Amino acid sequence: MNRSIATGVGALCVALIAFVPACAPSHADRIVIGSKNFTESFILGELLAQEIEGHTHLKVERRFYLAGTYICQQAMLAGRIDLYPEYTGTALTAVLKRPVGGDRQSVYNQVKNEYESRFNLTLGPSLGFNDTFAMEIRGEDARRLKIGTLTEAAAFAPQWKAGFGYEFMERPDGYRGLVKTYGLRFAEPPRIMDLGLLARALNDHQIDFAAGNATDGLIPALDLFVLADDKHYFPPYEAVPVIRKQTLELHPEVAAALANLYGQISDQEMRQMNYAVDHQHKDVREVVAEFLRRKNLNR
Amino acid sequence: MLYAMSPAAETPVIEFRDVAYRVDGHEILDALNLQVRRGETLVLLGRSGSGKTSTLKLVNCLQSASSGDVLVNGVANRDADVIALRRSIGYVIQEVGLLPHYTVRQNVGLVPKISGWPPDRISSRVEDLMKLVGLNPDLASRYPHQLSGGQRQRVGVARALAADPEILLMDEPFGALDPLTRDELQREFLALQQSLQKTVLFVTHDLREALRLGSRIALMEAGRLVTVLPPQEFVRSEDRWASAYVRAFGGDLGSIADRRSS
Amino acid sequence: MNFLRFIFENRGQVAELTLEHLWLVGISTLFATLIGIPLGIAIARRSHLDKPVLATANIVQTIPSLALFGFLLPLPWLGARADRLAILALTLYALLPIIRNTYTGIRSVDPSVVEAARGMGLTDSQLLYQVQLPLAVSVILSGIRVAVVISVGMATIAAAIGAGGLGEFIFRGLAMVDNSVILAGAVPAAILALVADYGLGWVERRLQP
Repeated sequence: MNRSIATGVGALCVALIAFVPACAPSHADRIVIGSKNFTESFILGELLAQEIEGHTHLKVERRFYLAGTYICQQAMLAGRIDLYPEYTGTALTAVLKRPVGGDRQSVYNQVKNEYESRFNLTLGPSLGFNDTFAMEIRGEDARRLKIGTLTEAAAFAPQWKAGFGYEFMERPDGYRGLVKTYGLRFAEPPRIMDLGLLARALNDHQIDFAAGNATDGLIPALDLFVLADDKHYFPPYEAVPVIRKQTLELHPEVAAALANLYGQISDQEMRQMNYAVDHQHKDVREVVAEFLRRKNLNR
Repeated sequence: MLYAMSPAAETPVIEFRDVAYRVDGHEILDALNLQVRRGETLVLLGRSGSGKTSTLKLVNCLQSASSGDVLVNGVANRDADVIALRRSIGYVIQEVGLLPHYTVRQNVGLVPKISGWPPDRISSRVEDLMKLVGLNPDLASRYPHQLSGGQRQRVGVARALAADPEILLMDEPFGALDPLTRDELQREFLALQQSLQKTVLFVTHDLREALRLGSRIALMEAGRLVTVLPPQEFVRSEDRWASAYVRAFGGDLGSIADRRSS
Repeated sequence: MNFLRFIFENRGQVAELTLEHLWLVGISTLFATLIGIPLGIAIARRSHLDKPVLATANIVQTIPSLALFGFLLPLPWLGARADRLAILALTLYALLPIIRNTYTGIRSVDPSVVEAARGMGLTDSQLLYQVQLPLAVSVILSGIRVAVVISVGMATIAAAIGAGGLGEFIFRGLAMVDNSVILAGAVPAAILALVADYGLGWVERRLQP
């Protein structure tokens, strides 16, 4: 009796092992695109998806809202996704664990080379904008005080209250370095707040100086001014598609589709798309489709 | 200290020489000297804690003597191949200990199987044994939980006899059975002994059983051998412990002793 | 019932994630069985080892699963790939039920059966393979069943570190605040656990002596 049970269980296992893979479609005729779990990444993922759908015969599967850089990197290595949008600065520090430094081109090259040699991952051409840290003040203050750069702003810092997100305070390439590079001294220790509330607090005069993202949709909407990083303290965070080498070999037409997007999105355009999704609650697919239409990029 | 002297010059089948057995500082057996002759049924009689079960277990190395020697057929146990020794000795215990996931046939044929007997020899042997112990051969495919207590112990005896061992060790084998079944099995044991002539070391605390089955009775008390006597002499013995035992059992014991013709 | 439609529309992805999930659970349970059963047998035979081994396995299980993933991240080679890491963590987590049940299963074989078998002249390994293991198999399988059910649940957390599996739907759904996506992960995972529990339980009952 024991033997027949063992045989039955064994047969069931073999059947399962043979059957389940048959359900999962192969990557031969489709491409899986991932994104992280914030709006901008979502928009870029959708952009890549629609571009590839428009210019190739490939079926695109979307796996958005993956919980972070590490998850996306692991998914790429395991072949669960083929392509996702990353930032050069993030790739440099979070994935390659290298110190920050250098201008846009050198960072791009360094990341591209190391990704190829270490992970067999290819970096596509930059999408155009630089989503680095933005030091924001109210537009009216910038015009009144006639300042445009952080160096100029340093003179007024003692009169200001500053607000930052928790991560910015903790990162080595965040608050500490900023203060050192520009010699900033604020009236009191900075308030630490949730990222989403910083822009509003700035607008409501609760704070006068905040750190946000360069492509934040609220910048044009609330008439906020981004002070120029004239000492080039902040590392570049260019948006680039990262794609598996095997995927490119299997589907070379994807390279052409990605090349179409080279430099197509300016900082301002990214801000507008972010604003449309986050604050006007428009559908991401429509926002991206509209963008592609305007740029004559869709088929 | 009393010695059991063997009348014949033949080597005793089992011999204890100055055996002591200690566990965790407690003395279980002390200065044990005993010889078991070929073909006899030597009963180890005593109350609980007297050391009789330990004595039995020293024979098949389930326990090891702390000092002194236990010899089986002239070979000291400390020098012997334990597994081969155990396979050459039949072992029957009170709880029977049948393997619950084996059929009667598989249980009885276990020692022959691990000794490498060919399968057909094993199955004919099993059938013979079942008849020998009074079991219907149809029961061979049953499992132990489907048998009565008496049937189970018969299987236990059959199992012990399977490889045709010279020696049988029996540790209160009928103690867990009801009086009628016990009587039945005792009677059948006597018949078997008459035909098979095994050398049996039999442990019990029941004087009646000892008188009925034993050719000699070795009385033990607190780890020491008190006296070794044939049944008729035992009931009339004036030894302090022996007579205490006889008194405790009351009744007409003399007839049990005399009824045996050995 | 939106999530049913979601599952149907995305059945390829659901199948793929289910397969990943099964792989994580299957491989780690296999490793845990290959390590745990011999270990359980070893401590059943040598009783002075039983407390330290069981205590260690117990401590490992007490570590919160997410924390265990975090501890293992810095390891070379293993930490480089999330699925290797997840398999290691799941294996460690599955060890306790398997070791403990093997140990208990062997120890709780009727002592008179063991004594009779020894007295008849079975060697230690014959005793193990012909008597103790067959009689303990139902208890051991029960330990494996518990390990599988725990693993199915823990594997959903493995998605938090990027190992894939049905947990990915759950985490993505949480980030998207979309119940259909959450359920597309949670429901199949629950079904897997129930099927494993019931299926192995059936085999367990059939194997009881």
